[in-house]
Amino acid sequence: MIKVENVSKVFRLPHERKYTLRQRFVSIFQKNTYEKFHALRNVNFEVKSGQFLGIIGRNGAGKSTLLKIIAGVLQPSSGRISSDGPIAPFLELGVGFQGDLSVKDNILLYGALLGLSRQQIKDKYDWIIEFSGLERFVDAKLKNLSSGMQVRLGFSITVSVESPILLVDEVLAVGDIDFQKKCYDAFNKFKKQGRTIIFVSHDLVAIEKFCNRVILLNEGRIDKEGCSDEVLSKYISDAR
Amino acid sequence: MISNDKSISESTLPHRKNYLFMTFVIAFTDFKIKYDNSILGYLWSLLKPLLMFGTLYLVFSVFVRWDVENYRLYLLLGIILWNFFAEVTLNSMVLLEGKGAILKKINFPRWIIVISSSLTSLLTLLLNLIVFLIFFIISTSHFHLSNLFLFIYLLELYILSVGMALFLCALYPKFRDIHHIWEVFVQLGFWITPIVYPISIVSEKYHRWIFLNPAARIIQGARQALIENQGSGFLTLKNHLIVFFIAGVIFFVGFSLYNKLSGSFAEDL
Repeated sequence: MIKVENVSKVFRLPHERKYTLRQRFVSIFQKNTYEKFHALRNVNFEVKSGQFLGIIGRNGAGKSTLLKIIAGVLQPSSGRISSDGPIAPFLELGVGFQGDLSVKDNILLYGALLGLSRQQIKDKYDWIIEFSGLERFVDAKLKNLSSGMQVRLGFSITVSVESPILLVDEVLAVGDIDFQKKCYDAFNKFKKQGRTIIFVSHDLVAIEKFCNRVILLNEGRIDKEGCSDEVLSKYISDAR
Repeated sequence: MISNDKSISESTLPHRKNYLFMTFVIAFTDFKIKYDNSILGYLWSLLKPLLMFGTLYLVFSVFVRWDVENYRLYLLLGIILWNFFAEVTLNSMVLLEGKGAILKKINFPRWIIVISSSLTSLLTLLLNLIVFLIFFIISTSHFHLSNLFLFIYLLELYILSVGMALFLCALYPKFRDIHHIWEVFVQLGFWITPIVYPISIVSEKYHRWIFLNPAARIIQGARQALIENQGSGFLTLKNHLIVFFIAGVIFFVGFSLYNKLSGSFAEDL
Protein backbone atom coordinates (compact mmCIF):
# COMPACT_ATOMS: atom_id res chain seq x y z
CA MET A 1 0.00 0.00 0.00
CA ILE A 2 1.19 3.46 -0.82
CA LYS A 3 -0.38 6.51 0.72
CA VAL A 4 0.18 9.96 -0.71
CA GLU A 5 -1.08 12.68 1.61
CA ASN A 6 -1.30 16.35 0.69
CA VAL A 7 1.85 16.24 -1.36
CA SER A 8 2.94 19.49 -2.94
CA LYS A 9 6.13 20.25 -4.76
CA VAL A 10 7.31 23.72 -5.58
CA PHE A 11 10.37 24.15 -7.74
CA ARG A 12 12.21 27.43 -7.59
CA LEU A 13 13.40 28.07 -11.07
CA PRO A 14 15.95 30.88 -11.00
CA HIS A 15 15.93 33.21 -13.97
CA GLU A 16 19.62 32.79 -14.09
CA ARG A 17 20.95 29.67 -12.55
CA LYS A 18 24.20 30.10 -10.65
CA TYR A 19 26.36 27.04 -10.53
CA THR A 20 29.64 28.46 -9.35
CA LEU A 21 31.09 30.57 -6.60
CA ARG A 22 32.41 32.95 -9.23
CA GLN A 23 28.93 33.59 -10.61
CA ARG A 24 27.64 34.21 -7.12
CA PHE A 25 30.50 36.50 -6.32
CA VAL A 26 30.13 38.53 -9.49
CA SER A 27 26.43 39.02 -8.93
CA ILE A 28 26.70 39.59 -5.22
CA PHE A 29 24.58 42.74 -5.26
CA GLN A 30 22.10 41.47 -7.77
CA LYS A 31 18.81 40.26 -6.53
CA ASN A 32 18.16 36.59 -6.95
CA THR A 33 15.04 36.38 -9.01
CA TYR A 34 13.22 33.17 -9.62
CA GLU A 35 9.97 31.77 -10.79
CA LYS A 36 7.97 29.53 -8.54
CA PHE A 37 6.68 26.50 -10.32
CA HIS A 38 4.02 24.42 -8.63
CA ALA A 39 4.65 20.97 -10.03
CA LEU A 40 2.23 19.32 -7.60
CA ARG A 41 -0.54 20.87 -5.53
CA ASN A 42 -2.07 18.95 -2.67
CA VAL A 43 -2.12 15.55 -4.24
CA ASN A 44 -3.92 12.87 -2.24
CA PHE A 45 -4.44 9.27 -3.14
CA GLU A 46 -3.94 5.76 -1.97
CA VAL A 47 -2.89 2.66 -3.83
CA LYS A 48 -3.90 -0.60 -2.24
CA SER A 49 -1.75 -3.68 -2.45
CA GLY A 50 -2.19 -5.51 -5.70
CA GLN A 51 -3.59 -2.50 -7.50
CA PHE A 52 -2.43 -1.29 -10.84
CA LEU A 53 -2.63 2.48 -10.88
CA GLY A 54 -2.16 4.46 -14.07
CA ILE A 55 -1.20 8.11 -14.11
CA ILE A 56 -1.91 10.13 -17.22
CA GLY A 57 -1.79 13.79 -18.10
CA ARG A 58 -0.24 16.27 -20.47
CA ASN A 59 3.44 17.06 -20.55
CA GLY A 60 4.37 19.06 -17.48
CA ALA A 61 1.34 17.93 -15.52
CA GLY A 62 3.59 16.60 -12.76
CA LYS A 63 3.53 12.88 -13.49
CA SER A 64 7.24 12.27 -13.34
CA THR A 65 7.69 14.58 -10.36
CA LEU A 66 5.07 12.60 -8.51
CA LEU A 67 6.80 9.34 -9.33
CA LYS A 68 10.17 10.70 -8.24
CA ILE A 69 8.71 11.82 -4.93
CA ILE A 70 7.17 8.41 -4.34
CA ALA A 71 10.52 6.83 -5.18
CA GLY A 72 12.18 9.09 -2.61
CA VAL A 73 14.51 10.80 -5.06
CA LEU A 74 12.87 14.20 -4.61
CA GLN A 75 11.68 15.54 -1.30
CA PRO A 76 8.14 16.93 -1.27
CA SER A 77 7.79 20.61 -0.33
CA SER A 78 4.97 19.59 1.93
CA GLY A 79 2.93 16.50 2.64
CA ARG A 80 4.04 12.96 3.13
CA ILE A 81 4.35 9.59 1.47
CA SER A 82 4.10 6.31 3.25
CA SER A 83 4.36 2.77 2.04
CA ASP A 84 4.41 -0.62 3.65
CA GLY A 85 7.07 -2.23 1.54
CA PRO A 86 10.24 -1.49 -0.38
CA ILE A 87 9.66 0.34 -3.62
CA ALA A 88 11.69 -0.72 -6.64
CA PRO A 89 13.57 2.51 -7.03
CA PHE A 90 13.68 2.90 -10.76
CA LEU A 91 12.08 5.47 -12.93
CA GLU A 92 13.67 5.13 -16.25
CA LEU A 93 15.22 2.19 -17.97
CA GLY A 94 18.95 1.87 -18.02
CA VAL A 95 19.62 4.94 -15.95
CA GLY A 96 22.73 3.55 -14.31
CA PHE A 97 24.13 2.06 -17.47
CA GLN A 98 27.71 2.74 -18.44
CA GLY A 99 28.45 2.48 -22.13
CA ASP A 100 32.06 1.55 -21.50
CA LEU A 101 31.22 -1.55 -19.51
CA SER A 102 30.23 -4.93 -20.86
CA VAL A 103 26.66 -6.17 -20.71
CA LYS A 104 27.69 -8.47 -17.89
CA ASP A 105 29.16 -5.68 -15.78
CA ASN A 106 26.17 -3.49 -16.46
CA ILE A 107 23.87 -6.17 -15.07
CA LEU A 108 26.03 -6.22 -11.96
CA LEU A 109 26.02 -2.43 -11.64
CA TYR A 110 22.36 -1.86 -12.36
CA GLY A 111 21.31 -4.76 -10.17
CA ALA A 112 23.38 -3.41 -7.29
CA LEU A 113 21.93 0.06 -7.75
CA LEU A 114 18.44 -1.40 -7.55
CA GLY A 115 19.36 -2.95 -4.22
CA LEU A 116 19.98 -6.55 -5.20
CA SER A 117 22.57 -8.62 -3.40
CA ARG A 118 25.38 -10.48 -5.13
CA GLN A 119 23.53 -13.78 -4.73
CA GLN A 120 20.30 -12.35 -6.12
CA ILE A 121 22.10 -11.02 -9.18
CA LYS A 122 23.79 -14.38 -9.67
CA ASP A 123 20.45 -16.17 -9.48
CA LYS A 124 18.79 -13.80 -11.90
CA TYR A 125 21.65 -13.46 -14.34
CA ASP A 126 20.70 -16.22 -16.78
CA TRP A 127 17.08 -15.21 -16.73
CA ILE A 128 17.96 -11.57 -17.49
CA ILE A 129 20.16 -12.53 -20.42
CA GLU A 130 17.51 -14.81 -21.82
CA PHE A 131 14.64 -12.38 -21.33
CA SER A 132 16.52 -9.56 -23.01
CA GLY A 133 17.67 -11.87 -25.80
CA LEU A 134 21.28 -10.73 -25.56
CA GLU A 135 22.94 -14.15 -25.24
CA ARG A 136 25.45 -13.36 -27.97
CA PHE A 137 26.46 -9.97 -26.62
CA VAL A 138 27.29 -10.71 -22.99
CA ASP A 139 30.87 -9.49 -23.30
CA ALA A 140 30.22 -6.66 -25.73
CA LYS A 141 30.47 -3.12 -24.52
CA LEU A 142 27.05 -1.65 -24.00
CA LYS A 143 27.70 1.38 -26.18
CA ASN A 144 28.09 -0.90 -29.18
CA LEU A 145 24.57 -2.25 -28.76
CA SER A 146 21.54 -0.68 -30.39
CA SER A 147 19.35 1.56 -28.27
CA GLY A 148 16.56 -0.99 -28.46
CA MET A 149 18.81 -3.68 -27.04
CA GLN A 150 19.87 -1.38 -24.20
CA VAL A 151 16.28 -0.68 -23.28
CA ARG A 152 15.50 -4.38 -23.35
CA LEU A 153 18.35 -5.04 -20.99
CA GLY A 154 17.19 -2.28 -18.66
CA PHE A 155 13.67 -3.60 -18.60
CA SER A 156 14.81 -7.16 -18.01
CA ILE A 157 16.91 -6.22 -15.01
CA THR A 158 14.18 -4.06 -13.56
CA VAL A 159 11.57 -6.73 -13.97
CA SER A 160 13.79 -9.25 -12.23
CA VAL A 161 13.70 -7.21 -9.03
CA GLU A 162 11.04 -8.89 -6.99
CA SER A 163 9.94 -5.77 -5.24
CA PRO A 164 6.29 -5.75 -4.17
CA ILE A 165 5.91 -2.17 -5.38
CA LEU A 166 7.04 -1.05 -8.81
CA LEU A 167 7.10 2.42 -10.32
CA VAL A 168 7.09 2.43 -14.08
CA ASP A 169 7.73 5.56 -16.12
CA GLU A 170 7.14 5.43 -19.88
CA VAL A 171 8.81 2.19 -20.73
CA LEU A 172 6.56 0.80 -23.39
CA ALA A 173 7.22 3.57 -25.85
CA VAL A 174 10.37 1.82 -26.95
CA GLY A 175 11.02 -1.68 -28.15
CA ASP A 176 9.62 -3.60 -31.06
CA ILE A 177 6.38 -5.56 -31.14
CA ASP A 178 7.91 -8.73 -29.78
CA PHE A 179 9.40 -6.91 -26.88
CA GLN A 180 6.21 -5.05 -26.12
CA LYS A 181 4.44 -8.34 -25.96
CA LYS A 182 7.03 -9.57 -23.51
CA CYS A 183 6.41 -6.50 -21.40
CA TYR A 184 2.67 -7.07 -21.44
CA ASP A 185 3.18 -10.67 -20.41
CA ALA A 186 5.41 -9.53 -17.58
CA PHE A 187 2.79 -7.05 -16.44
CA ASN A 188 0.13 -9.70 -16.50
CA LYS A 189 2.35 -11.88 -14.39
CA PHE A 190 2.86 -9.09 -11.86
CA LYS A 191 -0.87 -8.62 -11.69
CA LYS A 192 -1.38 -12.25 -10.91
CA GLN A 193 1.33 -12.13 -8.27
CA GLY A 194 -0.50 -9.28 -6.60
CA ARG A 195 2.25 -6.70 -6.89
CA THR A 196 1.42 -3.04 -6.64
CA ILE A 197 2.32 -0.98 -9.66
CA ILE A 198 2.16 2.71 -10.45
CA PHE A 199 2.39 3.21 -14.14
CA VAL A 200 2.97 6.51 -15.93
CA SER A 201 2.38 6.42 -19.64
CA HIS A 202 1.04 8.15 -22.70
CA ASP A 203 0.16 4.77 -24.11
CA LEU A 204 -3.56 4.85 -23.50
CA VAL A 205 -4.12 1.37 -24.85
CA ALA A 206 -1.77 -0.09 -22.27
CA ILE A 207 -3.33 2.02 -19.52
CA GLU A 208 -6.76 0.75 -20.42
CA LYS A 209 -5.58 -2.80 -20.62
CA PHE A 210 -3.81 -3.03 -17.28
CA CYS A 211 -4.93 -0.38 -14.86
CA ASN A 212 -7.73 -0.87 -12.37
CA ARG A 213 -7.60 2.78 -11.54
CA VAL A 214 -6.39 5.83 -13.34
CA ILE A 215 -5.50 9.29 -12.11
CA LEU A 216 -5.56 12.24 -14.48
CA LEU A 217 -3.15 14.98 -13.49
CA ASN A 218 -3.57 18.50 -14.72
CA GLU A 219 -1.21 21.30 -13.70
CA GLY A 220 -0.22 19.46 -10.56
CA ARG A 221 -3.73 18.69 -9.40
CA ILE A 222 -5.73 15.51 -9.60
CA ASP A 223 -8.30 16.32 -12.24
CA LYS A 224 -10.12 13.05 -12.17
CA GLU A 225 -9.69 9.74 -10.47
CA GLY A 226 -11.55 6.54 -11.06
CA CYS A 227 -11.85 3.46 -13.23
CA SER A 228 -9.94 3.62 -16.46
CA ASP A 229 -12.83 4.14 -18.96
CA GLU A 230 -14.16 7.26 -17.27
CA VAL A 231 -10.82 8.93 -16.77
CA LEU A 232 -9.54 8.09 -20.21
CA SER A 233 -12.66 9.39 -21.89
CA LYS A 234 -12.36 12.66 -19.96
CA TYR A 235 -8.70 12.97 -20.93
CA ILE A 236 -9.53 12.36 -24.56
CA SER A 237 -12.50 14.70 -24.62
CA ASP A 238 -10.45 17.44 -22.90
CA ALA A 239 -7.93 17.24 -25.67
CA ARG A 240 -10.55 17.98 -28.27
CA MET B 1 5.30 19.34 6.98
CA ILE B 2 8.01 17.31 5.39
CA SER B 3 7.90 13.67 6.18
CA ASN B 4 10.84 12.88 8.39
CA ASP B 5 9.41 9.77 9.87
CA LYS B 6 12.34 7.35 9.90
CA SER B 7 10.38 4.14 9.71
CA ILE B 8 8.53 5.32 6.65
CA SER B 9 11.30 6.85 4.64
CA GLU B 10 13.50 3.83 5.30
CA SER B 11 10.92 1.39 4.12
CA THR B 12 11.03 2.97 0.68
CA LEU B 13 14.74 2.31 0.39
CA PRO B 14 16.18 -0.87 -1.04
CA HIS B 15 17.41 -3.51 1.34
CA ARG B 16 19.81 -1.96 3.76
CA LYS B 17 22.15 -4.89 3.99
CA ASN B 18 23.06 -4.56 0.34
CA TYR B 19 24.53 -1.06 0.62
CA LEU B 20 27.99 -2.41 1.22
CA PHE B 21 27.74 -4.51 -1.91
CA MET B 22 26.43 -1.49 -3.81
CA THR B 23 29.43 0.53 -2.62
CA PHE B 24 31.86 -2.13 -3.80
CA VAL B 25 30.18 -2.53 -7.16
CA ILE B 26 30.25 1.22 -7.86
CA ALA B 27 33.91 1.35 -6.86
CA PHE B 28 34.71 -1.71 -8.97
CA THR B 29 32.93 -0.52 -12.11
CA ASP B 30 34.27 3.01 -11.76
CA PHE B 31 37.74 1.56 -11.51
CA LYS B 32 37.15 -0.55 -14.61
CA ILE B 33 35.90 2.39 -16.63
CA LYS B 34 38.77 4.59 -15.52
CA TYR B 35 41.44 2.13 -16.52
CA ASP B 36 39.55 0.80 -19.47
CA ASN B 37 39.96 -2.82 -18.43
CA SER B 38 43.68 -2.72 -18.99
CA ILE B 39 46.53 -3.42 -16.64
CA LEU B 40 48.61 -0.90 -18.56
CA GLY B 41 46.14 1.84 -17.80
CA TYR B 42 46.44 1.10 -14.15
CA LEU B 43 50.22 0.94 -14.21
CA TRP B 44 50.15 4.36 -15.76
CA SER B 45 48.30 5.76 -12.76
CA LEU B 46 50.94 4.21 -10.52
CA LEU B 47 53.63 5.88 -12.58
CA LYS B 48 52.29 9.33 -11.77
CA PRO B 49 53.47 9.48 -8.15
CA LEU B 50 56.70 7.76 -9.16
CA LEU B 51 57.44 10.33 -11.86
CA MET B 52 56.65 13.07 -9.41
CA PHE B 53 58.96 11.41 -6.95
CA GLY B 54 61.69 11.05 -9.55
CA THR B 55 61.54 14.71 -10.54
CA LEU B 56 61.51 16.04 -7.00
CA TYR B 57 64.23 13.62 -6.00
CA LEU B 58 66.43 14.82 -8.83
CA VAL B 59 65.90 18.48 -7.93
CA PHE B 60 66.23 18.20 -4.18
CA SER B 61 68.81 15.48 -3.91
CA VAL B 62 71.11 16.26 -6.79
CA PHE B 63 70.62 19.96 -7.60
CA VAL B 64 69.82 21.15 -4.10
CA ARG B 65 70.95 18.97 -1.26
CA TRP B 66 68.84 18.72 1.84
CA ASP B 67 70.54 17.28 4.83
CA VAL B 68 68.06 14.47 5.37
CA GLU B 69 68.92 10.88 6.09
CA ASN B 70 67.10 8.39 3.87
CA TYR B 71 65.74 11.24 1.80
CA ARG B 72 64.42 8.79 -0.81
CA LEU B 73 62.11 7.10 1.66
CA TYR B 74 61.30 10.42 3.31
CA LEU B 75 60.15 11.96 0.05
CA LEU B 76 58.38 8.91 -1.35
CA LEU B 77 56.28 8.33 1.74
CA GLY B 78 55.31 11.99 1.90
CA ILE B 79 54.22 12.03 -1.73
CA ILE B 80 52.27 8.77 -1.46
CA LEU B 81 50.30 9.89 1.59
CA TRP B 82 49.61 13.37 0.25
CA ASN B 83 48.53 11.94 -3.11
CA PHE B 84 45.98 9.78 -1.37
CA PHE B 85 44.49 12.82 0.34
CA ALA B 86 44.45 14.76 -2.93
CA GLU B 87 42.95 11.89 -4.90
CA VAL B 88 40.13 11.08 -2.49
CA THR B 89 39.03 14.68 -2.19
CA LEU B 90 39.26 15.50 -5.90
CA ASN B 91 37.98 12.24 -7.38
CA SER B 92 34.92 12.06 -5.19
CA MET B 93 33.64 15.26 -6.80
CA VAL B 94 34.30 13.82 -10.25
CA LEU B 95 32.42 10.64 -9.37
CA LEU B 96 29.53 12.65 -7.95
CA GLU B 97 29.25 14.55 -11.21
CA GLY B 98 29.48 11.33 -13.21
CA LYS B 99 26.74 9.65 -11.21
CA GLY B 100 24.38 12.63 -11.48
CA ALA B 101 21.95 10.78 -13.74
CA ILE B 102 21.63 7.93 -11.25
CA LEU B 103 21.21 10.23 -8.27
CA LYS B 104 18.32 11.89 -10.08
CA LYS B 105 16.48 8.63 -10.60
CA ILE B 106 17.35 6.15 -7.91
CA ASN B 107 17.04 6.60 -4.21
CA PHE B 108 19.99 5.22 -2.27
CA PRO B 109 22.07 6.71 0.53
CA ARG B 110 24.21 9.42 -0.98
CA TRP B 111 27.30 8.62 1.10
CA ILE B 112 27.80 5.52 -1.07
CA ILE B 113 29.25 7.71 -3.82
CA VAL B 114 31.96 9.20 -1.61
CA ILE B 115 32.86 5.90 0.02
CA SER B 116 33.08 4.14 -3.36
CA SER B 117 35.41 6.81 -4.62
CA SER B 118 37.59 6.50 -1.54
CA LEU B 119 37.86 2.73 -2.05
CA THR B 120 39.36 3.22 -5.50
CA SER B 121 41.93 5.61 -4.08
CA LEU B 122 42.61 3.22 -1.23
CA LEU B 123 43.58 0.55 -3.72
CA THR B 124 46.00 2.95 -5.40
CA LEU B 125 47.42 3.81 -1.97
CA LEU B 126 48.02 0.16 -1.13
CA LEU B 127 49.79 -0.48 -4.43
CA ASN B 128 51.88 2.64 -3.91
CA LEU B 129 52.81 1.39 -0.47
CA ILE B 130 54.06 -1.84 -2.04
CA VAL B 131 56.38 0.25 -4.18
CA PHE B 132 57.45 2.00 -1.01
CA LEU B 133 58.06 -1.36 0.62
CA ILE B 134 60.44 -2.30 -2.19
CA PHE B 135 62.41 0.91 -1.67
CA PHE B 136 62.28 0.26 2.05
CA ILE B 137 63.85 -3.17 1.68
CA ILE B 138 66.50 -1.92 -0.76
CA SER B 139 67.50 0.78 1.71
CA THR B 140 69.18 -0.48 4.80
CA SER B 141 66.16 -0.02 7.00
CA HIS B 142 65.06 -2.82 9.29
CA PHE B 143 61.61 -3.80 10.34
CA HIS B 144 60.51 -2.59 13.74
CA LEU B 145 57.51 -3.08 15.92
CA SER B 146 56.91 0.67 15.74
CA ASN B 147 56.39 0.29 11.97
CA LEU B 148 52.90 -0.87 12.83
CA PHE B 149 52.04 2.69 13.84
CA LEU B 150 51.71 3.33 10.12
CA PHE B 151 48.31 1.66 10.15
CA ILE B 152 47.01 4.03 12.78
CA TYR B 153 48.21 6.94 10.67
CA LEU B 154 46.56 5.46 7.60
CA LEU B 155 43.30 5.23 9.52
CA GLU B 156 43.63 8.85 10.57
CA LEU B 157 44.44 9.86 7.02
CA TYR B 158 41.40 7.99 5.74
CA ILE B 159 39.04 9.69 8.19
CA LEU B 160 40.51 13.06 7.34
CA SER B 161 40.32 12.53 3.58
CA VAL B 162 36.79 11.15 3.57
CA GLY B 163 35.63 13.94 5.89
CA MET B 164 37.06 16.57 3.58
CA ALA B 165 35.60 14.78 0.53
CA LEU B 166 32.14 14.76 2.14
CA PHE B 167 32.44 18.46 2.86
CA LEU B 168 33.47 19.29 -0.71
CA CYS B 169 30.90 17.00 -2.31
CA ALA B 170 28.14 18.52 -0.21
CA LEU B 171 28.90 21.92 -1.70
CA TYR B 172 29.79 20.73 -5.19
CA PRO B 173 26.32 20.66 -6.81
CA LYS B 174 25.71 24.29 -5.83
CA PHE B 175 29.24 25.56 -6.45
CA ARG B 176 30.79 23.68 -9.33
CA ASP B 177 34.00 25.65 -9.33
CA ILE B 178 34.86 24.33 -5.89
CA HIS B 179 36.66 21.56 -7.74
CA HIS B 180 39.06 24.03 -9.35
CA ILE B 181 39.43 26.00 -6.16
CA TRP B 182 40.26 22.84 -4.24
CA GLU B 183 42.84 21.86 -6.86
CA VAL B 184 44.69 25.06 -6.05
CA PHE B 185 44.44 24.37 -2.34
CA VAL B 186 45.84 20.89 -2.86
CA GLN B 187 48.84 22.40 -4.63
CA LEU B 188 49.26 24.94 -1.87
CA GLY B 189 48.93 22.24 0.76
CA PHE B 190 51.60 20.18 -0.95
CA TRP B 191 54.13 22.95 -0.39
CA ILE B 192 53.13 24.17 3.07
CA THR B 193 53.22 20.60 4.34
CA PRO B 194 56.75 19.28 4.90
CA ILE B 195 56.62 16.73 2.10
CA VAL B 196 59.59 17.70 -0.04
CA TYR B 197 61.66 19.61 2.48
CA PRO B 198 62.69 18.67 6.01
CA ILE B 199 60.85 20.48 8.75
CA SER B 200 64.22 21.52 10.22
CA ILE B 201 64.74 24.14 7.51
CA VAL B 202 61.62 25.98 8.62
CA SER B 203 62.06 28.50 11.40
CA GLU B 204 60.77 27.16 14.75
CA LYS B 205 58.19 29.90 15.13
CA TYR B 206 56.20 28.60 12.14
CA HIS B 207 56.08 25.02 13.34
CA ARG B 208 52.93 25.42 15.37
CA TRP B 209 51.13 26.76 12.31
CA ILE B 210 52.43 24.04 10.04
CA PHE B 211 51.32 21.36 12.46
CA LEU B 212 47.83 22.75 12.70
CA ASN B 213 47.47 20.84 9.45
CA PRO B 214 46.62 17.27 10.46
CA ALA B 215 48.09 15.95 7.21
CA ALA B 216 51.49 17.33 8.25
CA ARG B 217 51.24 15.49 11.56
CA ILE B 218 50.17 12.27 9.86
CA ILE B 219 53.00 12.41 7.35
CA GLN B 220 55.65 13.25 9.95
CA GLY B 221 54.30 10.53 12.23
CA ALA B 222 54.29 7.91 9.50
CA ARG B 223 57.88 8.82 8.68
CA GLN B 224 58.95 8.46 12.26
CA ALA B 225 57.24 5.08 12.42
CA LEU B 226 58.90 3.76 9.28
CA ILE B 227 62.18 5.52 8.66
CA GLU B 228 65.13 5.45 10.98
CA ASN B 229 66.40 8.69 12.43
CA GLN B 230 63.38 10.51 11.14
CA GLY B 231 61.40 12.98 13.19
CA SER B 232 60.73 12.87 16.85
CA GLY B 233 57.81 13.44 19.12
CA PHE B 234 55.19 12.21 16.67
CA LEU B 235 54.62 8.73 17.98
CA THR B 236 53.07 10.06 21.15
CA LEU B 237 49.55 9.59 22.33
CA LYS B 238 49.21 13.37 22.32
CA ASN B 239 49.91 13.56 18.60
CA HIS B 240 47.36 10.84 17.86
CA LEU B 241 44.77 12.59 19.99
CA ILE B 242 45.32 15.90 18.21
CA VAL B 243 45.10 14.28 14.77
CA PHE B 244 42.05 12.22 15.68
CA PHE B 245 40.42 15.32 17.09
CA ILE B 246 40.99 17.53 14.04
CA ALA B 247 40.20 14.75 11.56
CA GLY B 248 37.12 13.85 13.61
CA VAL B 249 35.86 17.42 13.60
CA ILE B 250 36.37 17.71 9.84
CA PHE B 251 34.64 14.37 9.32
CA PHE B 252 31.74 15.35 11.54
CA VAL B 253 31.25 18.73 9.86
CA GLY B 254 31.58 17.18 6.40
CA PHE B 255 29.21 14.35 7.21
CA SER B 256 26.54 16.60 8.71
CA LEU B 257 26.70 19.05 5.84
CA TYR B 258 26.59 16.23 3.32
CA ASN B 259 23.60 14.67 5.03
CA LYS B 260 21.83 17.99 5.09
CA LEU B 261 22.48 19.02 1.50
CA SER B 262 22.40 15.65 -0.25
CA GLY B 263 18.60 15.63 -0.04
CA SER B 264 18.49 18.18 -2.83
CA PHE B 265 21.22 16.63 -4.98
CA ALA B 266 18.56 15.33 -7.35
CA GLU B 267 17.47 18.90 -8.06
CA ASP B 268 20.88 20.54 -8.25
CA LEU B 269 23.01 18.10 -10.17
